[in-house]
Amino acid sequence: MVSLPTTPAQIIPFIIAIVTSHTFITIVFFPGFIHLTLVVMFLTWYERKILARIQLRIGPLYAGGPGGILQPMADGVKLIFKEVMIPYKADKPLFLGIPLALVFLGALPFAVIPFGEHWVIANLDVGLVFIFAVTSLFPSMILIFAWASNSKYPFLGGLRSLFQQVAYEIPMWISALSIVLLAGSLNLTQIVEAQQKIWFIVPAFLSFIVFFVASMAELERLPFDLPEAEPELVAGWFTESSGAVFMVIFLALYMKLYLMSSLITVLFLGGWWGPAFLPQPVWFILKALIVATIIIIPRGVYARLRVDLLIKVGWTRLLIIAIANVFITVVLLSTGILSAWGL
Amino acid sequence: MPFESGQVPQGEARKRVVMQYYPYLLMFVVFDVVGMFLFAWGISFRSIPTAGSLLVLLFLFLLGAPLGYALKMALHRENW
Repeated sequence: MVSLPTTPAQIIPFIIAIVTSHTFITIVFFPGFIHLTLVVMFLTWYERKILARIQLRIGPLYAGGPGGILQPMADGVKLIFKEVMIPYKADKPLFLGIPLALVFLGALPFAVIPFGEHWVIANLDVGLVFIFAVTSLFPSMILIFAWASNSKYPFLGGLRSLFQQVAYEIPMWISALSIVLLAGSLNLTQIVEAQQKIWFIVPAFLSFIVFFVASMAELERLPFDLPEAEPELVAGWFTESSGAVFMVIFLALYMKLYLMSSLITVLFLGGWWGPAFLPQPVWFILKALIVATIIIIPRGVYARLRVDLLIKVGWTRLLIIAIANVFITVVLLSTGILSAWGL
Repeated sequence: MPFESGQVPQGEARKRVVMQYYPYLLMFVVFDVVGMFLFAWGISFRSIPTAGSLLVLLFLFLLGAPLGYALKMALHRENW
């Protein structure tokens, strides 16, 4: 704790003490804003490159400076200077405010995600529930934005987003319940610490599959990108966004992609654990980027599901598998098979 | 309206839309609450006696019957 300055001479040491304190560094630099911004820029570049390789697109393969690094910056500059078009009779405060709320909601859960043993902003005891609470606000925000933009296709996309939430959310929670049973805690740091000897993907493989599919549905990635189905709904719920509004929404979507891949890393892939020759945060980011790659690849490969099929898959397959995995976990824990790994 | 090729859009955008998949929405309202309360059991699994956990598992098991019925009704297209 730093005491407040009482004389003018103490102001500069006070500022230095604040800036070099661990809390400040975690908020601003490493798991905080600068790291997030850099990773989001990297992910836009990365996704473009992967899709260019899959679909043999000449443009993204060769355009934009060394390796195409300049392309995200050019995109950013272009979008900032574009005119923000607000549709006729649109709800202006909501139309401009909801994208900012989306970025806020996308960045907020990173406060509780542990990137290393000491690299966490807020070591919250209900971290997992906090993340679920924040991410489940997204579809409602999307529907409000779609309603505010006063256009037919965005509205249909927003409604589809709600239906999608009905399909994926409960399987996701129930599959995370097996992890909570295994770790005995909702604190994400303790969940990672419990995986020191064995990653939870091994005892809870079924729930890993369910969680992965559900998080792809949450991220609106193919094959579940119903809310932004391009051939049907132009661009889905953000059809009417342009310029800076579109850029902000884009930022929020990529933050969410990174968020879900780091959550999968925390819950199933052992978080920061790895051989000691690399520091803990590096392992964490590597694992999260690998998960993000697997989430991105189907976008170049798969077709899209229908809404009713998605809901049917969610309730008749994913939920049943997730509940079955809860029973399996209880059996594993009560018979003591996992006691060799300290569970 | 960039996507309508310059044509003037017709009618109101904020129309009434039929909320489809009503059985699924009902199931969601029920299971959302159940799912959240199960987390309370999840963290206290090690500290409560086995009989308590058995009760929760029995509850989950018994939930299967209404879930099956609801799924059966929800899969009928005329109930959407």
